[in-house]
Amino acid sequence: MRARLLAGTAAASLALAAVAATAGPASAADDAKLSVLHGVPGLTVDVYVNGKLTLDDFQPGKLAGPLDLAAGTYTVAITASDAKDDSDPAIGPVDLELAAGKNYTAVAHLDGSGDPTATLFTNDTSTTAPGEGRITVRHVAAAPGVDVLAGSDAVISNLENPDEKVLDLPAGTVSASVVATGTTEPALLGPADVDVAEGTNTILYAWGDATADPSTLALATQVIDGLHGNPSGVQAGQVGLVSDSGTTPVWPYALGALGVVSLAVVNRRRADAGR
Amino acid sequence: MVSSAPAPSAPGGGDPAPAPAPPPAPVPARVPVRDATAPAPVAIPGSPPARLTVASLDLRMPVVPVGVADDGTMDIPPRATDAGWYRFGPAPGAPGNTVIAAHVDSWVTGIGPFSRLRDVRTGASVVVESKDGATHRYRVVSVRKIPKDEAPVDQWFAREGDPRLVLVTCGGAWQPEIRHYADNVVVVAEPTGA
Repeated sequence: MRARLLAGTAAASLALAAVAATAGPASAADDAKLSVLHGVPGLTVDVYVNGKLTLDDFQPGKLAGPLDLAAGTYTVAITASDAKDDSDPAIGPVDLELAAGKNYTAVAHLDGSGDPTATLFTNDTSTTAPGEGRITVRHVAAAPGVDVLAGSDAVISNLENPDEKVLDLPAGTVSASVVATGTTEPALLGPADVDVAEGTNTILYAWGDATADPSTLALATQVIDGLHGNPSGVQAGQVGLVSDSGTTPVWPYALGALGVVSLAVVNRRRADAGR
Repeated sequence: MVSSAPAPSAPGGGDPAPAPAPPPAPVPARVPVRDATAPAPVAIPGSPPARLTVASLDLRMPVVPVGVADDGTMDIPPRATDAGWYRFGPAPGAPGNTVIAAHVDSWVTGIGPFSRLRDVRTGASVVVESKDGATHRYRVVSVRKIPKDEAPVDQWFAREGDPRLVLVTCGGAWQPEIRHYADNVVVVAEPTGA
């Protein structure tokens, strides 16, 4: 689900949006979707895609996109925010290969040692089970491995930069916190209420630098909705009292509720009368 | 695993950067940018339905929000006198189908008001009152009894398209071996706009 781009080259992959403009004609179904998250603290950049300035003064913590792009390879260069063009990139150029029908997020972030890097993640847009939502947690911070606690239980263990973990959960609210692997406190992030939204992939990024003083560790969120699955059917009768065929309900069950019994008797008589 | 060595790729190296020839494309569309550190945008659902009335059937029921049962089917209120609204789908007035279902009969309450659903006439008035006090008026456009194995469940639960009300219960022959009815009774109603 993940492909490294260029370790050691920073904010790269702020790819993006070379934009449909640079791509050949393609139907929407053949397009790839690309979002870009800037997770390098303290660095404002310009992003060039296929030589075109695509994101101007892009700031940390910002999420750009999603953009519909024809499948293909996009070349991305990242420069200081006052550059005139992409001839002297601070990062890159890197090539992003985007496949038709896929949904990507390119993240410029710090690696575990605090050096700028970039990672291209593929977002899970498969249909969720009815009544469930999806949580994706991505570790893109200069920090050691972490556990994610829901309440006091570790639901994710030893997640390391730049890995991700995907969980499908019943829709609802989960109180979650991020701690160093093997600990329960102190919380590096949270606790915070996380909305497990039905039919939605809620992608949480732990980004920043835990070694900075003060720590710049922070949370960023991306939401991809419309992934819901429908109930498999509607079973809306329990007893058989109104059966078209006059089938007699099963008496032992009916004994459980007096009101039901009396109704069942009526039904039984009707059935008998019909014979 | 990301121990990137100090990048030796000094800027301005001698490599002739093989810049791909940018096509003479028009100016890129504006890229939407949002602050990812702010709370995730939350879809604002409409107000849940609270009461269902079909006067021609003398049907008046409270409506409660329901989700999904353990077996993956829509959850149904245990009392046949309560109707359940599929809370993950559209609320009344929103695009797509508002799905409300009730047991035709139940262990705790016996035969319920939805047993009369099969008798509703096309054109009959259906009123849904929302929790926020709004009144949504519909007119019945179809009444069908469908074998469950042919039921177009995904159409009932559609979240896009014109706003409609879909009322679902059971009917047909009782199948004691699986303790389910064979058919669904489905009423579709459209907003009258009045």
